[in-house]
Amino acid sequence: MIVGWREAWIGRLLLVLLMAATVVPFVSLFVTALHPSGTYPAGLDWPREPRWSNFTSAFEAAHMGELLASSALIVVGVVPVSLLLATMAGFAIGHLKMVGRRPVFLLFVLGLTLPFEGIVTPLYYQIRDMGLLNTRWAIILPLIGLFMPFGVFWMRAHFVNMPDDISEAAQIDGANIWQQFWRVHVPLAMPAISSLAILLFLWTWNQFLLAIVLVDDPAKRTMAGALGAFQGQWGTDIPLLCAGSLLVLAPTLIVFLIFQRRFVSALLQGSLKG
Amino acid sequence: MPRHDRHRRIAIGLVTLAATLPVACGGPGSGSPQSTDTGTTLTERPTCGKEAVTMSGYFETGFPMPKALTDEFSKQFPNVKWDIREDQFAVITQNAPRVLADDPPDLMRLPQVSELVKDNLLKNLDGYAKVFGWNSWPASQLAQLRMKPGGGPRGEGSLFAMGLNFSVTGVFYNKTLAERIGMSKPPATLAEFDDLLTKARQANITPIVQFNGGATGGFAFPLQNLMAAYGEPGPINNWIFQKPGATIDLASNQKAAQHLAGWIKAGYFDRDANAMDYAKMMSKFQAGDGLFMFNGDWESGSLDKQMPGKVGFFPFPPGTTGGAAAAMSAPLTFGMAANAKHADCAAFFLDWVATNPVARRIAVDVGGSHPMGPADGPMPQVAPGTVTAETLTAGAKISQDNGAMDFIANATGAIYAKSWTPQLQKLFAGEQTPEGLLKSVQSDYQGQVGR
Amino acid sequence: MATLVADRAEVAPRAAKATSRARRYGQGWIAWLFAAPAVAFYTLFVLVPMVRTVQYSFYEWDGIGPSPWVGLDNYVRVFTDPELSGTIVNAFELIVFFSGIPVLLGLAIAATIRRIATSRLAVVARTVLFVPQVIPLVAAGIAWSWLLSSTGLVNQLLSAIGLEGVTRAWLGDFATALPAVGVIGAWVLLGLCTLLLLAGLSKIDPALYEAARLDGAGPMREFFSITVPSLRQEIGVCVTVTVIAALASFDIVYIATQGGPGNTTMVPGLEIYYQAFVERQVGVASALAVVLVVLVLVCVLPVQRLTREES
Repeated sequence: MIVGWREAWIGRLLLVLLMAATVVPFVSLFVTALHPSGTYPAGLDWPREPRWSNFTSAFEAAHMGELLASSALIVVGVVPVSLLLATMAGFAIGHLKMVGRRPVFLLFVLGLTLPFEGIVTPLYYQIRDMGLLNTRWAIILPLIGLFMPFGVFWMRAHFVNMPDDISEAAQIDGANIWQQFWRVHVPLAMPAISSLAILLFLWTWNQFLLAIVLVDDPAKRTMAGALGAFQGQWGTDIPLLCAGSLLVLAPTLIVFLIFQRRFVSALLQGSLKG
Repeated sequence: MPRHDRHRRIAIGLVTLAATLPVACGGPGSGSPQSTDTGTTLTERPTCGKEAVTMSGYFETGFPMPKALTDEFSKQFPNVKWDIREDQFAVITQNAPRVLADDPPDLMRLPQVSELVKDNLLKNLDGYAKVFGWNSWPASQLAQLRMKPGGGPRGEGSLFAMGLNFSVTGVFYNKTLAERIGMSKPPATLAEFDDLLTKARQANITPIVQFNGGATGGFAFPLQNLMAAYGEPGPINNWIFQKPGATIDLASNQKAAQHLAGWIKAGYFDRDANAMDYAKMMSKFQAGDGLFMFNGDWESGSLDKQMPGKVGFFPFPPGTTGGAAAAMSAPLTFGMAANAKHADCAAFFLDWVATNPVARRIAVDVGGSHPMGPADGPMPQVAPGTVTAETLTAGAKISQDNGAMDFIANATGAIYAKSWTPQLQKLFAGEQTPEGLLKSVQSDYQGQVGR
Repeated sequence: MATLVADRAEVAPRAAKATSRARRYGQGWIAWLFAAPAVAFYTLFVLVPMVRTVQYSFYEWDGIGPSPWVGLDNYVRVFTDPELSGTIVNAFELIVFFSGIPVLLGLAIAATIRRIATSRLAVVARTVLFVPQVIPLVAAGIAWSWLLSSTGLVNQLLSAIGLEGVTRAWLGDFATALPAVGVIGAWVLLGLCTLLLLAGLSKIDPALYEAARLDGAGPMREFFSITVPSLRQEIGVCVTVTVIAALASFDIVYIATQGGPGNTTMVPGLEIYYQAFVERQVGVASALAVVLVVLVLVCVLPVQRLTREES
């Protein structure tokens, strides 16, 4: 089929163009990062003497080691707890047919479309009154709450599709609900949970608004929030800023490349609240 | 499904109840009483003691002087360490109230102080001023930092901040380019300055490099200089200090804004000025891509290093020959949070900055500006022919002519980011008239001062 | 949208489970123990602040001092003060870029590359196109502000093809700043939409296309009578995600333009931030926040309706 053959080539060309458009900003960042610090290089100019040292100076200027540790701490604080709470609630609403599950579920669903800006102002004063401003808790606790709508929604979708027979079989074995949950349902839910874990990791790592509002010290922020501070401090030094940006996005890129299959499918399924 | 309906009704009822409860209980916040804080009464000069202290600081990025001072201070007083966070000035302006209230630093680079004082966020320094004798310094150094506790016009009252040095603004020029258009001496009048701009344009030299991008409209520099050329500094200061009834929408200021619009129309600025930030302006000027730059003496030190002997400075010329020179001139403002943990040590540091010979040397060499302190304080030697020498001379002339003004961007906390900047960007893009610009800023100002 | 998928899947088993449900009635209350922690976190950090946002919006408060009740004044300001109402207009303009480009272009691309969706190139593309979704928006903002600057690559390319006349500082120009921000958003969302639509396409029975070909339908007819209708659900997801991203945009604008020049790129999210934490007009910020939340719901719910109807 001639038509099919031509179509395939047009398709290929389009794909390549699209990939080029996706990659160009990163190439530009990279090339700019190699120019002498403090200059304003023009467009995509390969520097005569690439300054690889810009990356080390950006690493030091941004206190990248501290930042990585801080972001990791925040992720460790947010993701496991969110997963546990969301799985339990999804189980209750989706499988146990909790009394009043419809209004409760509706309440969660309403939270799905809520822009963070909608609540960030009172959240600031609430966190201040709790004495948690400028601590990592100021990001961790609200994020757990903010992830609940999506998490519960996601896990409920999984549990609703679980046949009742599974529980019944376990019940006959004399397991109580708690044991059923841990021994039977959680293992079966692992694919859903791990996809959710990936999404929550990404959303935590990249969280910006809460980080800049609730935490002043960049060393206690998420990676994205710290990058904001880095721009605030070094935005006047373009090569250094570009080097810093690349360093900040490197960890997510690496994690993404390792788990890319899971990432893609999780993001496609989870794009509801991307 | 009656059961579901009932539950839903209960849930909705609960939510509604939860929603009405706090409303019924009244508004947020508390009625904070008018401050009666008149500053701590001290009988002897505080020090930093002998114990190890870590001072928390919040400084501005890109200006090495404060850091140089704290380093020197730690050298002289090894028990004092500094934990310093840096941000660009625009970011500091945004964060100031929050940081002062909720994460109080011992020493902080301050934006405009009016609202900060009104909200009782700054420490009253009267006690320190008395015991250290700051009140005997030339009064003009500290006037901009004085206010009635709890609010009111600026310019007199209690001291709420201090300067690290005293800067003056004007016009820097590239001597090489100046030679090319036959400029042998700084212009004496506005007309002469205009003439130089035309000549530069004809010679294909960018007449003025000026930033006006992002959150900081740098055209406020030339605008205020033009205001002073067409009018008097007095009314402008009244407006900045929030004196009752003051307005920026004066006939002389309209002429100034029209003059600026004329420059824009004549193409005296870079085409992408609205996208140019401060650092880009500096790098362009240093690369020789422009004849004039409106800026302050805080750059003198670095210009002397980057392009030695190639840069000159003059205060913006008056409207008529022999007229008085006027310029924006302000202390590099630093203050302490009302709840600062180490206020005594911070006060000792501020006094040290103004009186210690090494510190005064740093204020001039690194900062490029006149040190604070008593009129007879030791003056560091400056090499003749440097920009630093020229800016110091200009500063002396301004204070002689009584021509010091605060910066129009300092009238209220939000006036720069929310009024001057967008309006000046509009003016540059031809989206706003000179008259409309002043009217619009004035109406924002009234909204902000009225509260 | 995912809601749809979940609900649809739920229908069949639910009917069959009526009996066992009755048996497990006793679990109905125990289940609350499982749900309680999630509900507690959600209530404390989402519902309570939401209620407080509504509450604050009726007061004038600077975050510190006393707070007089001002009724609907703050809302009146949101709709009458051009500085505030302009942000809403800007947000809607952003929808054109954040939603329009990724959905339309994504559809066209997905339809074109449908035939090679399983080739090695497409597998690589799948990874590459996802990268904008993975990186922080802040980084995207930084990268693009550099591309779009007066000395950036975009102008370099334009000059190279003889279009020097149109080069400019794209983010600093009154006419182009908002579209330029829109382009950044489109870049972030295009890959996601393309892949979502492509995934949807792979579910369409190829026999449909062959039948159409036999009937002599051209690629255009094929596109409009088979591709688009079958992708209703995926298009719904794309539109929802991108509309929310446009209305609630913050990160990109904060980094790339801070709302300038003038107020041409000021969006509700950034204005809320400025009002609440810079101008300290907590009441006005809250009123705008309430308007934003309602606006998102009003825009997203009809899309849900439309894409659900079919089943």
